[in-house]
Amino acid sequence: MLMKTTLQFAAVLAIFAAVSILQAGDVTGKVTLKGDAPAEKEITPLAKDPNCGKSYSKPATTRHYVVGADKGLANVFVYVKKGLEGKTFPAPAEKPVMDQKACLYQPYVLGARAGHPVVIKSSDDFMHNVNFAASKTGNDTFNFAQTKAGQANEKIFKNVEVLAKLQCNVHPWMFGYIGVVDSPYYGVTDASGKYTIAGLPDGKYTLAFVHLKAGEVLQEFDVKGGASVNATLEVK
Amino acid sequence: MAQTTTSKSGAHGAHAAHEAHHDHHELGYLSKYIFSSDHKMIGIQYGVTALFFLLFGFFLVGCMRWQLAYPGRAIPVVGGLLETLLGKDMAAGGVMQGDLYNAFGAMHGTIMVFLAIVPLAFGAFGNFVTPLQIGAPDMAFPRLNMASYHFYFFGGIVMFASFFIPGGAARSGWTSYSPLATTAQFGQAFNGQTAWLIGMVLLINSSLLGAVNFITTIIQLRTKGMSWMRMPFFVWAQFVTAFLLLLAFPPLEAAGVLQLMDNVFHTSFFLPTGLVVDGAQLPVSGGGSPLLWQHLFWFLGHPEVYVLILPAMGIVSEVIANSTRKPLWGYRPMVYSVITVGFLSFIVWAHHMYLTGMGTKISTFFQTTTMMISIPSVIILTALFISLWGGSIRFNTASLFALAFLPMFGIGGLTGLPLGFNASDIFLHDSYYVIGHFHYVVAPGTIFGLLAGIYFWYPKATGRFLNETLGKIHFWGSLVCMNLVFAPMFIQGFKGMSRRMYDGGATYFAETDPTALKLNIYITHSAIALGVFQLPFIWNFFASLFVGRKVTNDNPWDATTLDWATPTPPPHGNFTHQPVVYRGPYEYSVPGAAKDFSPQNQPS
Repeated sequence: MLMKTTLQFAAVLAIFAAVSILQAGDVTGKVTLKGDAPAEKEITPLAKDPNCGKSYSKPATTRHYVVGADKGLANVFVYVKKGLEGKTFPAPAEKPVMDQKACLYQPYVLGARAGHPVVIKSSDDFMHNVNFAASKTGNDTFNFAQTKAGQANEKIFKNVEVLAKLQCNVHPWMFGYIGVVDSPYYGVTDASGKYTIAGLPDGKYTLAFVHLKAGEVLQEFDVKGGASVNATLEVK
Repeated sequence: MAQTTTSKSGAHGAHAAHEAHHDHHELGYLSKYIFSSDHKMIGIQYGVTALFFLLFGFFLVGCMRWQLAYPGRAIPVVGGLLETLLGKDMAAGGVMQGDLYNAFGAMHGTIMVFLAIVPLAFGAFGNFVTPLQIGAPDMAFPRLNMASYHFYFFGGIVMFASFFIPGGAARSGWTSYSPLATTAQFGQAFNGQTAWLIGMVLLINSSLLGAVNFITTIIQLRTKGMSWMRMPFFVWAQFVTAFLLLLAFPPLEAAGVLQLMDNVFHTSFFLPTGLVVDGAQLPVSGGGSPLLWQHLFWFLGHPEVYVLILPAMGIVSEVIANSTRKPLWGYRPMVYSVITVGFLSFIVWAHHMYLTGMGTKISTFFQTTTMMISIPSVIILTALFISLWGGSIRFNTASLFALAFLPMFGIGGLTGLPLGFNASDIFLHDSYYVIGHFHYVVAPGTIFGLLAGIYFWYPKATGRFLNETLGKIHFWGSLVCMNLVFAPMFIQGFKGMSRRMYDGGATYFAETDPTALKLNIYITHSAIALGVFQLPFIWNFFASLFVGRKVTNDNPWDATTLDWATPTPPPHGNFTHQPVVYRGPYEYSVPGAAKDFSPQNQPS
């Protein structure tokens, strides 16, 4: 009798848990840029560098405002800034990867979890160093070099840092940025300005849209089985 | 001379009493091998420990050379072990990481200079041979001698252990320039640099104790008849070396303590005001001088070069006189030269600092003194070359190493001249040319001298000869490989390759001058071959203890100096009777003499 009751209770719990998992959804949206972005500059030293220059048939440019169709703004780091306080999350299944390819960081902006490893690799067959100067957040400074394509190192940012700046001193135009947050709910806008944050449980949140040049915009919103949140950033 | 006479009688008295006391005294294992106060055992302790560190220093650079030739490729055989022992930050996937390269580079220099060559040249040969050559029963202060070795041993342990502490060993070059040395791991309370400084203080104390002991011994314990100008050149070289250590090391010890304060207590002896590291101002008061560290370091650093080379010159002189069966040509000028080198070596240090902007007048002064010091050095080398003239040379392994020392050190010395002129140094500074230059001085230079000494005195120390065939394989392989390793570095230096490149310069030369990079590969292969050619020596060194041809005569090389007038191996107290010296140290082929050598203790 006792056994039967326990099983029934467990079944109810399982159904309840399944329903509560179902009560989550993807947050999607688009970030657009207001105003005319200044023209990107050609990276002259990259073109002149004997190792890097040969990878480009046309000159590489800066990536300050990468604007796509309908003014969609790429490289905006989007994350849940408020609404998840006190919650813990399982470790990510995959490690985010920052690549150094043809003397540029790819992607330009990456998202990562605090306390979990980020893979920093090189696809170039010559030396880059990855220099990260910790800000006041208590992350560890690091500076290491990679000399061969395929080399990869894992680094852990202990604390939240938006955006952590990586720099190569061998090629001083190379900068890459990592948005380090303490939840799995973040995304980066693609070339058309769109982003997706998957599986955010129902609730009330504040979303932050962070762009290197255009700054930060906050949006409050509710999730009920998903949400669509758009934002507009202005040229600065 | 009055002082000498007094000392002789003192030595004699001490000697006689010593013998009377020790005739039937058997030492226990600990007293004989671990806490020995016998200069010969301490010399052997120094020698074996230093040879271990020589091998370890070679291993470190072997890993570095692999990285230089094949950047980013896992180190074969030991790569996985390094990752296991030192962690992913140092050797992820067996690939040498930048921090490990820097640590191995800094520790290669430190270990080779302070834990391998100096202890071998001064601690081992100086200890074993000097008292024998001056006819003394032991060093003046035997227990101080034991303490000297123990300081050295603990210094070595601290340096070795520093590889395994969090963050790894010191990584700011063997010169540990401030502010880099302080800021490289700023905020970590006990880091590799801290261990380096503690290790250095122990090693410096060891050298200072040794230096005081050598000076006292050579002044006070020369046997009857051993006047200054009857001392073998080896003893003169050790005598000057001891003064260099005694006078040059204390400033570095003081500097080391100051840098320790900068690292641990965040003082600013060597840290300037407003120092910005990684984009943030360093939280220290500032007001210190980074240049002061360089001055204090090189005030030791340059005499240290002569600490490395003079004992080797001493050994080579002994072996050459013996193997040519001729007196050294120009013994007195050689003695005056070695003293002059000693004095001048204290006023050349800033030629390492031409690029610091210390001013043209200062640069001119140090350029002048640097050119001056080459004169006595050339006199010694020339005298040794001329000593060969007309000699009936016995070509054994010891003499081959001694003979090879001459041109190798010659190359090392002459390639130093462009670095001594500040105009040409501006171009060559910090390039592979510098690496080539000082390695020619120290590796095929000093190390060949030391190897000559090992082959020469091994029969006296052990009662058995080293195998000659293995010795010659060792010699010819080492001679060829040393040159294949170091000669191409001059070319790389002229091409402008920096000595600090973790990728062997690939970033700068891959497209513009691939030849320079190919040389990296040839050098690495030659270095591996050089390592292989040390195997016969390692085997020979240990196996000959048991299977080497036995010495049947206390003076197997037909030598003249007192070290060969002892029983073999020399017992505690050295001589069966106090020797009396009647003649100079190199009376070979004296016209009218019955034999072609007249030992110093043979009455006229």
